[in-house]
Amino acid sequence: MTKRKLALGAIVLVAAVAAVALAVGVTAGSAKSNGAFKAAWIYVGPYNDGGWSQAHDEGRLYVQKALGKAVQTTYKENIAVGAQFAQTVASLAAQGYKLIFATSYGYVTPQLAQKYPNVDFEQATGTYVGKNVSEYFGAAEDTVFLSGIAAGAAAKCNTIGFVVAYPIPEVIRHTNAFALGAQLAHPGIKVRIVWTNSWYDPAKEKKAAQSLHGAGACVLGQNVDSPSTGEYAESVGIPWVGYDSDAHQFAPKSWLTASVYNWGPYYLRRVKAAMGGSWKPGFYYGTIADGFTKLAPYGKGVDTKARQLIAKQWMRLKKNRGAEFTGPLYDQSGKLRVPKGKKLTVSQLYSMNWLVKGVIGSPKG
Amino acid sequence: MRLTVERRLEQPRWLGLVVPVVSVVFALLVAALVLLATGHDPLSSYRQLFDAAFLSTGSIDQTLIAATPLAFTGLAAAAAFRMRVFNIGAEGQLYLGAIVAAAAGLYLGGRGGASPGVIAAMVVAGAGGGAAWAAIPGVLRAFFRTSEILTSLMLNYVAGYLLTYLIFQSESYWRQTTGFNAKVFPTGKPLPSNAVWPPWLLHAQGGIDLPLGAGIALLAALALWVLYRRTRFGFEVQVLGDSEGAARYAGVRTRRKILAVMAISGALAGIGGASQVGDFAHALDGDPNGLQKQGYGYSGIVVAALGRYNPFAVLLIAFLIGGLDNAGNTLQGANFPSGLVGVIQGIILFSALGGELLVRHRPRVVRRASVAEATPLPGAVQ
Repeated sequence: MTKRKLALGAIVLVAAVAAVALAVGVTAGSAKSNGAFKAAWIYVGPYNDGGWSQAHDEGRLYVQKALGKAVQTTYKENIAVGAQFAQTVASLAAQGYKLIFATSYGYVTPQLAQKYPNVDFEQATGTYVGKNVSEYFGAAEDTVFLSGIAAGAAAKCNTIGFVVAYPIPEVIRHTNAFALGAQLAHPGIKVRIVWTNSWYDPAKEKKAAQSLHGAGACVLGQNVDSPSTGEYAESVGIPWVGYDSDAHQFAPKSWLTASVYNWGPYYLRRVKAAMGGSWKPGFYYGTIADGFTKLAPYGKGVDTKARQLIAKQWMRLKKNRGAEFTGPLYDQSGKLRVPKGKKLTVSQLYSMNWLVKGVIGSPKG
Repeated sequence: MRLTVERRLEQPRWLGLVVPVVSVVFALLVAALVLLATGHDPLSSYRQLFDAAFLSTGSIDQTLIAATPLAFTGLAAAAAFRMRVFNIGAEGQLYLGAIVAAAAGLYLGGRGGASPGVIAAMVVAGAGGGAAWAAIPGVLRAFFRTSEILTSLMLNYVAGYLLTYLIFQSESYWRQTTGFNAKVFPTGKPLPSNAVWPPWLLHAQGGIDLPLGAGIALLAALALWVLYRRTRFGFEVQVLGDSEGAARYAGVRTRRKILAVMAISGALAGIGGASQVGDFAHALDGDPNGLQKQGYGYSGIVVAALGRYNPFAVLLIAFLIGGLDNAGNTLQGANFPSGLVGVIQGIILFSALGGELLVRHRPRVVRRASVAEATPLPGAVQ
């Protein structure tokens, strides 16, 4: 036998052994279950993005802590819409996950939900409610408005920069709320926006922040998931308003505040309902009043006057959700969009496609 | 003592099989060290990986979702690279294929079950869209000697922005504009029912939906093999790939070949785009966090290289890499960071590609004394 044939034989043998070991392992290893209820969370970015996805993951850990061994939770991060989401759901369903929180709109389609009738889906920020699909979100525009007050009060010039993700109604209404808050504290101030076309892209967000600062912004805010904007603000020494999570550790000097979500209690209710068999599809819209949306603790840059103004508005919004969108409201061209005394409804907020007066940038991206 | 890598004078057939197997085994061993160092059990991780990719119920179904586009982009890269025309633009050509095929489906489609005519029109439209997009770098290369690597790559970004623009930033023909949902979040207009590509149900593993696109990829591979191995065109392409000077001397029309090869390559990627619309999304997916995040066009280059530009090998590799891709989603989770999945996938691909060097070349230890005397072999890689 030549050396080569020997080598070939050895390789075939190794491969065969590996295959057998694998096959045995597979049959032995599958279908392991300890009876715990399985719930999974799916994120658009990393679970520790310092923003949106991290807030959801804190909600997941809240559920895990509250229910202990009765529940088994996991998450899937950096999942793209479409093919990858479908693959992920298939693998979760095969592993016996019964409740899936899809934390971004565009994930759950009617066809996909119908394919897994034994799995219940919960989708954040969307509108599609089906037999096994619920939608949930919160009136972050109220708290974003309050964070805008902090930004406006801290501005020593006449422009605030706001880094925004996609040109969609959700982001447009938050931008508008932010601008209205800033204008309340600092009449006539402009909010300049730059779109990144991504929920999570630290490099693009940093570039956007850079260009906004270059265009004269002396305060930065954001409706994207990473704290890059804040890190940039810290490096040039200007104040920053975050979003989604308390991210003061990324920019301790620049930090003002942020509109944050408290997903945990909602998640706990839904997981409990699914465990007890009482889960029903629905549409939940959390508010300041029920503790779903909050403001993160203030940084040093928020002075007493601003805190008082925010506290006053907080009470107003607690009693009257969405009050910041009470007329008269004008769009960028100066056209009256909401007449005096009228307030936008949730469906109007969900389909908002115009920017308020004083915002510089296009609502079309 | 010095280590050199020199070209093999003869390439034994068995080497072509042994090298990839050893490379993958080697990669699994290296990745096992990484897994151990990060506190994971390599055996159970690998078991989960293979289980999720190929063995568990429904796994092949999901693997095919990634494998089908990879087969098309792999064939696209193989078709061009064989002639040393480096079309890096399969990504953008796939988008253009998707855009044009979606337009055809939306325009021609109607009610009822799958219509062969509409589906055929979508395939042709996809191929046309991809070929037209690839023709831009093709013409630039053929007539102005511009590097097709750069131009085709840059056009990927253009195609990506166009795709996003059509769904997110304009009220285009492709965008769903009626209904409340469409106002809240931009989506593509759904295809009429007879434009949806019917899967072929295989009664295995609890039912596998074999996408129509996978079948078309098989036919495309066959056609490509016949074209490159059995026709004068293919022969000339191979000669051009091996030596442009020799081909010219023999009277091969270089410009025409470059244009034809780019068009074929683009058409293949474009059909991949049509399959994205017809087989999977059933609408044009313009979300930057959707189709564009998958990078099928770029992965196709790896698929082609591992398949050594052989169309049938490309299909097999596409299936394996599709499995690896799909399994990554299963493996990651609260106790297994997605970055670690990427590291394992990277080690496997890197090792498999690196091993390819050993098929054509062999390492040799050269003693210092003999270096001065030995004249390097022609083609030796130092």
